[in-house]
Amino acid sequence: MTHLVDIILSFVLLSIIFSFGSSRLQGLIKALAFQGVVVSIVPFFIGHDITEGGVLFSLTTLLIRGIAIPFYIYRFIEKVAAHRELEPIIGYNGSIFTGLLLIVAAMAVSRKFSVPSASTSLLLLPTAISLLVGGMFLLMARRKAITMILGYITMENGIYLVGTTFSVRAHHIVEFGILLDVLAGVMIMAVILQNIKLKMQSGGEDTSLNIISKE
Amino acid sequence: MNSTRAKGMNMDLFFLSLVLILLGGTLAPIFNRRFTLMKLIAVITLCAGCLLGLVDAGSKLIHGGSYRYAFAYLNALSLEFQIDALSAFFLTTIFFICFCSLIYSFHYLNNAEKAFRISVNYMLFSLLMISMALVVAAGNIIAFLVSWEIMSLSSFFLVIYNYASSENRQAGRLYFIFSHVGAMFILSAFAIIYQHTGKFGFIDAASLSHGAKLLVFIFSFIGFGSKAGVFPLHIWLPHAHPAAPSHISAVMSGVMIKTGIYGIFRMYAILELHTPVFGSIVLSAGIVSGILGVVYALGQHDLKRLLAYHSVENIGIILMGMGIGMLGVSSGKPVMAVLGFAGSLLHVLNHSIFKSLLFMGAGMVLQKTGTSSIDVLGGLLKKMRITGTTFLIGSLAIAGLPPFNGFISEFIIYLGAFKGVVLTGMTFVLSLLGIVGLAVIGGLALACFTKVTGVVFQGEPRSRAAENADEKGVAMLVPMVILAGACVMIGVYPEPFILMAIRGIDSLNLGYAVIPLEGFVAITGSLTRAVTAFFAVVLGIFALRVFLYRDKITTRSSTWGCGFTRPTAKMQYTGSSYAASILSFFKPVAPLSEHHPRIKGIFPEETHYFSHVHDIAERYMKNLTVIPVMALFDKLRWIQYGDIHLYIGYILLAIIVLLFFI
Amino acid sequence: MTPIIIFIPAILSAPFFPAIILKVKAFFGGKKGPPLLIQYYTLAKLFKKGSVYSTSTTYIFKLGPMVSLSAALTALMFLPISGAAPLFSFKGDVLFVLYLLGLGRFFTIAAALDTASPFEGMGAAREAYFPIICEATTFMIFILFYRLTGELTLASFFYGNHPLELWRVAGAPLAFVVTAFFIVLLTENARVPVDDPATHLELTMIHEVMVLDHSGPDFGFIEMGSFCKLFFYAAIVSRLVFPFDLGHPAMNLAAFSLIMLLIYAAVGVIESVMARYRMDRVPKFVLTSFALAFVATIITLEFVK
Repeated sequence: MTHLVDIILSFVLLSIIFSFGSSRLQGLIKALAFQGVVVSIVPFFIGHDITEGGVLFSLTTLLIRGIAIPFYIYRFIEKVAAHRELEPIIGYNGSIFTGLLLIVAAMAVSRKFSVPSASTSLLLLPTAISLLVGGMFLLMARRKAITMILGYITMENGIYLVGTTFSVRAHHIVEFGILLDVLAGVMIMAVILQNIKLKMQSGGEDTSLNIISKE
Repeated sequence: MNSTRAKGMNMDLFFLSLVLILLGGTLAPIFNRRFTLMKLIAVITLCAGCLLGLVDAGSKLIHGGSYRYAFAYLNALSLEFQIDALSAFFLTTIFFICFCSLIYSFHYLNNAEKAFRISVNYMLFSLLMISMALVVAAGNIIAFLVSWEIMSLSSFFLVIYNYASSENRQAGRLYFIFSHVGAMFILSAFAIIYQHTGKFGFIDAASLSHGAKLLVFIFSFIGFGSKAGVFPLHIWLPHAHPAAPSHISAVMSGVMIKTGIYGIFRMYAILELHTPVFGSIVLSAGIVSGILGVVYALGQHDLKRLLAYHSVENIGIILMGMGIGMLGVSSGKPVMAVLGFAGSLLHVLNHSIFKSLLFMGAGMVLQKTGTSSIDVLGGLLKKMRITGTTFLIGSLAIAGLPPFNGFISEFIIYLGAFKGVVLTGMTFVLSLLGIVGLAVIGGLALACFTKVTGVVFQGEPRSRAAENADEKGVAMLVPMVILAGACVMIGVYPEPFILMAIRGIDSLNLGYAVIPLEGFVAITGSLTRAVTAFFAVVLGIFALRVFLYRDKITTRSSTWGCGFTRPTAKMQYTGSSYAASILSFFKPVAPLSEHHPRIKGIFPEETHYFSHVHDIAERYMKNLTVIPVMALFDKLRWIQYGDIHLYIGYILLAIIVLLFFI
Repeated sequence: MTPIIIFIPAILSAPFFPAIILKVKAFFGGKKGPPLLIQYYTLAKLFKKGSVYSTSTTYIFKLGPMVSLSAALTALMFLPISGAAPLFSFKGDVLFVLYLLGLGRFFTIAAALDTASPFEGMGAAREAYFPIICEATTFMIFILFYRLTGELTLASFFYGNHPLELWRVAGAPLAFVVTAFFIVLLTENARVPVDDPATHLELTMIHEVMVLDHSGPDFGFIEMGSFCKLFFYAAIVSRLVFPFDLGHPAMNLAAFSLIMLLIYAAVGVIESVMARYRMDRVPKFVLTSFALAFVATIITLEFVK
């Protein structure tokens, strides 16, 4: 093990597997928060942008990605009392195996790219790809809107990490813009879902409730 | 008939044994009016032939070398036979298992009313033995195909021994189709060889082009795989084995399907193409067959069907070893190659021993209780001590546990696979999957055979039939004891058997340097020592137990029912429920359908439960091949008008068309 | 002679450690807990008693305890306890040991099914199921170790400072391996969260329900066998957690004992703070160990290459 960042990233890989196997939304959000934190601090470790602006941007990213978004979704889940994803399209055991395959595939694929960061961290690109595809997998394999949002954010984490690997200067501005969009998106989705839930409850119709939650 | 002899008397001894077997087979129908005499004559003559063949094959294996023999018939059909160490290895297995199964048949076929049918059974059995021996001894394409066809046909007739039941006829038909579609693939593989070389010899195949070799190998793998029962070509096995009489199932599952393995070995050797593609194909097929075979086995309710699925599993293990050997050859690792191949070959022998033992045990259960349905049996160990104990030994062996023979071959395959794990690329990935696959197979086989022994032989009888069972018939018990003894012997003292397998491999000349045997001898020696240590510990504990129980009071009472005072045999855990949770893990590959009426009301009516595990190969093969083909033929029905004049017209047309081509 | 000097006390101390678990649990429950030598008392009591056999049983029922204890004892002979040389070692002994434990499991299950009790059948089915995934995990771990050392013996992995070498080459992913192995330990030895050895409802047990009908010295053998098995797994974990060779056997032994205490205490803590999983959730939990081992292998290979 050469680099500290690889150790942290290996935990991110695990968190992907964990999020695939987790039926509890709280667990999923914790995994997501962890990914968000790691993804935001990775630029410090691989050595570029230790400028004041860079640090500021990274810290803000950390705040939003690692704390604000997960916290917001967490609170939302508490409010609508959705705790579990009960009927995934692809079962949890199957998802775990898919996750393992995904990581292997990401490792194999990332060898084909030559990215500047490969000299410092071997796991950066594989993790980024795994996050990206893993998020898509969650979008595909889960039924509930909430889980799908979480998948979408996972995917976004991956995109950010891909950006980091390419070490382009001043990419923070663009990334930051995207991040704010995501934040806004999450909030809007939360509001909409909550309203749907309220409508459903007042209408007494139970059948389509399970897009948000069904215990 | 001309004959050329290469080496001494030995070949003649081989043919002498075959003649003796043929004689035994022909004598049986002649004496069919005197039932016991007929059986006595048939069994003695056939056994003598088998023993002779066994001695001959054994000596050939020990002395090594290659024995050739050629017949030319009308200068057109040349039959060549060649026995090298690989053939001798298979011959030893064939004769040994057939010998045991013949003794078994003496008391197993005990219905004097069916004397004629039984005598014909002996005749066909003799043909099957001869053809199996000739298949592994064949030296050219023609000899191989002729023997192969006799083998398929004689075994087909043996499967439909009980032709009165439509289920058995259907099983026979399925087997017939599979063995002939398989034969067609083999034929096309050979046709490609003949087209390139213009000769019928096997040796010339090495001169084929790269692409042709690939095609030949893939065709022959499909063909031989359908005989061996490789997933997804295995679907005839679970139908045919239960249909056949048990001693025939023992031979078919124990040795006949191994001729497919022999074919793959032989094709690999004669093609002399050491590409990793072959190894990858064989190893992947092995992993899939191994895991799915045992998963489906776990879901079966019929004892013989369950054992048939275990053949699929074990063929998988054999192929895994073979694939690892091939990968070892292609990546230039002679030790890995020898470990893989030797493990594979040894597993051929081991599987034939424990599988025929298990089928014989199942046959005994079937004969004495009249059923082979697992969930209505139980408690048989108390009435059938020898059958139960030998079956237990067979179960331990098939689960690959030390100190029994199944462990030895799996151990060697493991060692080979671990050698592959340090390599890179596809070899690494497949070796890794192989090891994990083998581990999972081991665990599942353990689950499956604790289910079988636990539900069939232990606990309380679940039906009247199981209650009144006995185990009369010395001729049936003797071979089971012999085979169980062989399981233990190979497990404790594997050295000569591993060396035998390595010798069999060496005769293939696979293009790697000869490697010293010391390493392998050291492995077997340490296995023997480890097992001895284990036995010593068991003895020590046993002594301690005797000591602790001296002048103690032991009483017998009923099983503690956790507070429930009126337990019945029906409350026992059944095989289906035992397997249910494991099967649910494999739901995507083993879909389960359940039938049970809903329980209603306070005083519900009598209810039932039935579950069936679907074999995805069977399901998809039906949808993807059978239905489209039937639809196509349906559309072509207009050709067959049922009018004889039209048919004569067709013949005429065909002749005229052919005339233009000649 | 050293191997014997270590082996005999190791076996004799195997019943001591589980008392630590009980103590820790008692501490969490605010109780005093049983004496530290409780398991010795239990064994002595069991060995003094006679037995009651069910009329349904056969000789397999008596064979079961003997075989499972012998398997566990033989397995320990191959293990470098506290990093000292094992009694035996040969190429591939890892496989032999794992399959030997499998043999023990076969007989435990067979003995359970011998009683015709529906409860024991239920436990047996679970005992047959969960270790399958454990085996996959264990083999995955040994593939990684083989890749790192090129050897396939327990001695080459755990003898002296060999584990340190593993840490040096593999680095942090070995932490995953340790976690995975700990999960295997919990599963194979029927501890919380897979099985609750202290529960009162037979329906929810795995190991305990399988041995319901055993009594007297037979039951003593079973208890001893499960102590040895737990000791086996804990000893491996302890070698991975504390990979150092302190240079003197006595010091090694002292350090080893300390780490063992900590591991058993950790098991106790887990049992105190966690609830048992619902039976259908267990496979996923065990599968996590496989995922851990797999990820560790993949990541390590990326670096060792």
